[in-house]
Amino acid sequence: MDILASLAMGFSSALTPINLMWGFIGCLLGTAIGVLPGIGPALTVALLLPITAKVDPTGALIMFAGIYYGAQFGGSTTSILLNTPGESSSMVTALEGNLMARNGRAGPALATAAIGSFVAGTVATVLLTLFAPIVAKLALKFGPAEYFAILVLSFTTVSAVLGASMLRGFASLGIGLTIGLIGLDSTSGIARYTLGVPELVDGIEVVLVAVGLFAVGEALYSLLYQKEEASGRHRMSSLWMTRADWKRSVPAWLRGTLIGFPFGSIPAGGAEIPTFLSYSTERKLSKYPKEFAANKGEGAIEGVAGPEAANNASATGSLVPLLTLGIPTSATAAILLAAFQNYNLQPGPLLFETSGALVWTLVASLYIGNVILLVLNLPLVGLWVKLLQIPRPYLNAGILVFATIGVYGMRHSSFDLLLMLAIGWGGVLMRRFDFPVAPVIVGMLLGPMAEKQLRNALSISEGDWTVFLTQPISAAFLALTLLVLVVPHLLHARGIKLHEDD
Amino acid sequence: MSQSRAIVPVQLAIGVGVLAISAMLGYGAFLFPEEMGFVILGAYVYPYAVAVFLAGVGVVLCFQAVTGGFRELADHDDESAKVVPGGKAGVAWVTGGLLGVAVLINLIGFVLSAALLFACSARGFGSRHPLRDLAIGIALTLPIYWLFNAGLGVSLPPLVNAWI
Repeated sequence: MDILASLAMGFSSALTPINLMWGFIGCLLGTAIGVLPGIGPALTVALLLPITAKVDPTGALIMFAGIYYGAQFGGSTTSILLNTPGESSSMVTALEGNLMARNGRAGPALATAAIGSFVAGTVATVLLTLFAPIVAKLALKFGPAEYFAILVLSFTTVSAVLGASMLRGFASLGIGLTIGLIGLDSTSGIARYTLGVPELVDGIEVVLVAVGLFAVGEALYSLLYQKEEASGRHRMSSLWMTRADWKRSVPAWLRGTLIGFPFGSIPAGGAEIPTFLSYSTERKLSKYPKEFAANKGEGAIEGVAGPEAANNASATGSLVPLLTLGIPTSATAAILLAAFQNYNLQPGPLLFETSGALVWTLVASLYIGNVILLVLNLPLVGLWVKLLQIPRPYLNAGILVFATIGVYGMRHSSFDLLLMLAIGWGGVLMRRFDFPVAPVIVGMLLGPMAEKQLRNALSISEGDWTVFLTQPISAAFLALTLLVLVVPHLLHARGIKLHEDD
Repeated sequence: MSQSRAIVPVQLAIGVGVLAISAMLGYGAFLFPEEMGFVILGAYVYPYAVAVFLAGVGVVLCFQAVTGGFRELADHDDESAKVVPGGKAGVAWVTGGLLGVAVLINLIGFVLSAALLFACSARGFGSRHPLRDLAIGIALTLPIYWLFNAGLGVSLPPLVNAWI
C-alpha cells in the first residue's frame, strides 16, 4: 500500500509536461546513441553531466535514465540490420538477429527485440518498485563494516567478471583506485599525489576520465586498429510478427527478464553474462534448434527475444544497488552515481527517506520511458537507420568536439583537456591489450568511499580489524567475494564454449 | 598461441609500468607529512594497500608477458594485430587537434578552437575538404555555444577574444 501511494505520487510528478519532456529527450538521445556506433550511454551521460549545474535534479535524472534505457533499445537496431554490435551485450542479438535479417526477416527480428525490451523493461521496473524499498530498509541496518565489505565485493565483481581476464580486470581496478587517491584526503587534510599541480588538489573528475577513456580512447583506437567494414545493410521487411513468432517470443522474453534482472541487481558486472546465459538457455529449450546460427539455420527468433529482454532487464536491475546502496555495477551506473553526487544526493538507503519524491518520480519515469521508447523505436525504425548515413569523419569529429565541451565546461581548464588526451592514449593501450575500462571508473568512484568506510569501521571497533569477520553481514559479503573469484571461471568456461560451437 | 614461452616486450613494458605506479604510490605515501592527534587509520595506510595490490598485479602481468604473453586475449588484441594503413597519420591529426584546442581555447575562444578540432579530427578520419569541414565545425559549435551559455548557464570561453 505504502509503495502504491508513493508510486502514484511519483507518476503525478513524472507526468508533468516538463518532466515528460526530459524523459522524451532522454529516450530520443538514448535511441540515437544506441543506433550510432562508437558512442554509448556512459559517454553520453558523462557529456551531459554539466547540465546538472542548471537543470533541477528530477528532470536531469529522468533524462539520464532515458538515455540509459534508450541505448539498450537502439543498440539492437544496428545489431540486426548491420551486424555491428555496439556493445558486447548485443553481440548475441547481432548473431541471430542479423541472420534473420539476411533471410528476409529483419522486421520480426526488430519487432521482437523492441517489444521484448519493452516487456522486460516494464517487468523489471515492477520488480524494482517492489524490491528496492525492501533492500533499502535492510541496508539501513548496515554500518561502516558492512559497507566496506559490500564495496570490496563490488570491486571484485566488477573487475573479475568484466573482460576476458580477471588479472587485467584487477589491473584496471588498481589504476582506478590510484586515480581516486589523487587529491585532498578528507580526513587528514593531506594533499595526496598532487605532484605540486594545483589542478590536482581537487582530484580528477570522473567525467574527465570517462570521456577520455570512452570518447578519445575509442576514436584513437578505431583509427589505429579498426578496418572499415563494408557491411551491407539489410532490407527492412514488414514488422508484423506471425502468431508463431509471438508464441515463441513471449516465453523467451519472460525467461530473459528473469535471468537479466537478478544479474543486473547483484554487482556482477554488466549485461554481458545474462545475455549469454539467456541465449544458451533459449538454445537448449527451443523446439527449433536447427534455426540457430550454430546449426547454420536461418536465425531463431528466441535467440533475439531472450537476450534482448535479458539485456534490458539487467539495465533496470542495476538501478537497485545504485539507488539503495549507492553502488554502481556498470560504467553507466557509475556515471549516474556521479550525477547524483553533483546534486549532493548520496544514493543509499537514506535516499528513499530524504529524497523519496525524487526516487519515486524516477521510478515512475521508467514506466513511462518504456512506453515512449516502444513508440519511438518500432514505427520510426526507418528514421533511426538514416542516422547511420552520417559520414564517419563527421560523426567522430562531432563526438570529439562534444567531449571537449564536456570536459572544458566543468572548470575551464586547459590542463583538464591535456589530461583527457593523455587518458585517451591510456585507453588505447588498455583496449589494445584487452583491459576492461569499467573497473577504472568504478575504482576511482568507490575507492575514496571504501577508505572512508574502512576508517569509520575501525574507529567504531577501536582499531580492531576482526570486526569485518565477526559481524555476520559483513562476513557474509566477504565470503561472497571469495565465491565471485571462483564462479566467473565456470561462467566464462560456458561463454567460451558458446563461441567454440559457432 | 604458437610462440609460447616467448617474451612479449610491449606487454612486459605494461607490467613494469604497473609496478612503477605501485612504487610511486608507496614512495609518495612515505613522504606524507605526519598527522597530529589521535589517528585511527593514517592517510598513508590505504595508499599502501593500493600499492601492494598493484605490485601483485604487476608481478603477475610481467610473469605472463615473459611466458608467452597475456592470457586469454581476444583475437583482435593479440600481438599480430597491425595498425591499419593511414592509422598513424589519422591519430596524429586527432592528437594534434586535441592539443591545439587545449592550447588555443583561452586564446582564440571556444568556437574557433572547437571548429579547428572538428576539422582536424575529420581530416584524421579521412575527410579531404578542410574548408568545408571548418565551416561545418563552426556551424556545429556556434549553436552549442549559445545553447550552453544562454540555455544552461554553463559559460564557455568567449566567442572570439576581444582583440580578434
